[in-house]
Amino acid sequence: MAEKEALETHRQELRRGTVVLACLRLLVESGYGYGLLEQLQSRGFETDANTLYPLLRRLEKQGHLTSEWNTGEARPRKFYRTSPEGLRLAQQLTEDFRAIAAAVEALPGDR
Amino acid sequence: MESTFTDRYVHAVTRTLPEQQRGDVADELRASIADQIEDRLEAGAEADAAERDVLNALGDPDVLAAGYADRPLHLIGPRYFLEWRRLLKLLLVIVVPLAAFGVALGQILAGAPIGAIIGSTIGVGLSVAVHLAFWTTLVFAVVERSDDAKTAMTPWTVDRLPAENPYTGARGIDMIVSVVFLAVAAIAFVWDQLVGLVYLQGEWVSFLSRDLWPWWATGLLIAMAAEAVLQIVVFLRRRWTYALAAVNTVLNVVVAVPALWLLSQRELLSPDFWLTVIPHGEGEKVFGILSLLTGIAIIGIAAWDTVDSFLKARRSR
Repeated sequence: MAEKEALETHRQELRRGTVVLACLRLLVESGYGYGLLEQLQSRGFETDANTLYPLLRRLEKQGHLTSEWNTGEARPRKFYRTSPEGLRLAQQLTEDFRAIAAAVEALPGDR
Repeated sequence: MESTFTDRYVHAVTRTLPEQQRGDVADELRASIADQIEDRLEAGAEADAAERDVLNALGDPDVLAAGYADRPLHLIGPRYFLEWRRLLKLLLVIVVPLAAFGVALGQILAGAPIGAIIGSTIGVGLSVAVHLAFWTTLVFAVVERSDDAKTAMTPWTVDRLPAENPYTGARGIDMIVSVVFLAVAAIAFVWDQLVGLVYLQGEWVSFLSRDLWPWWATGLLIAMAAEAVLQIVVFLRRRWTYALAAVNTVLNVVVAVPALWLLSQRELLSPDFWLTVIPHGEGEKVFGILSLLTGIAIIGIAAWDTVDSFLKARRSR
């Protein structure tokens, strides 16, 4: 049991930063909370609703996302979109991720 | 599709958020929950069960609220934990024995039976320890939550190994000396009020007027406690700032002005001591001179302490 928990903790830590990267790139086209959550999950980024929603707020506060209420539909929703600053961050994170992936690829110990 | 569970959940999340965020977060959260429920209904779930499942998956509303408000979910985080532990250890090691010693001495002098001496020494030692732990932790928890700027902790280098640092008046030892001094002074003051500091001709005599008890005395003790907290904050910030120096000034004024007023009304010092020590009617004269000197000392100390804190703030800018 403890072994399984430790495994889960390691995997979570590895995934943590990738959600921010995925949000910033997905929101190039504007999206709202739950829609984004589904997109993330279908694209293989395991995310919980209760971490995603506060994360969007935080990124907005930092200026990486902009937001706008869409009241045209039956259910008003808050739509987020990546700002130019957020795009730069996404670019940087993507480059970093590629560098990490390449570095991992070059490691010994893979069967 | 408004239902009580969702309403209660949204309320539980938003009630602790800052006012201006509340409505926006509530609307967004409600829409998200509705989206999720709808999804489950389309997949064939029952309405009640769907709502329950969605809210259960969102988890404890207080955790979610902390996420929205960027609040810590710990009392003292890694930024301050080590300082908190070091300080608490030191305070416990220094203050508890001092207090216990003081109480034991007092009880012995008062001729209390051995059982009462041991009992009250242990009792006071324990309650002093509990108070130290509580107030220190409280101060740290408040600082943890109030440091919005997230004052960058300078990364540790070998230069930070314990060594001689330029004197900023904000070293651990400065803080400890001040806090211990304040504690000792407070104990002496209370002792002087309740018993008297000098033993003269078969009775205890007070230096200060006994009429200070309880209101003036309480005020002074609160000011001393505030001063101790200030010293700890200075230490945590690693330096005096102009804002802290201003607080120090206010504290000095708050103590000095009433003290001078009381002195001028002949209500600060107790004449008993001087009238007893100095015979032949000269006591009254000595008491007058002493009052004058005390007034000068009060002004001098308050002024110097104020100027000093501003100097330290400028030096460590």
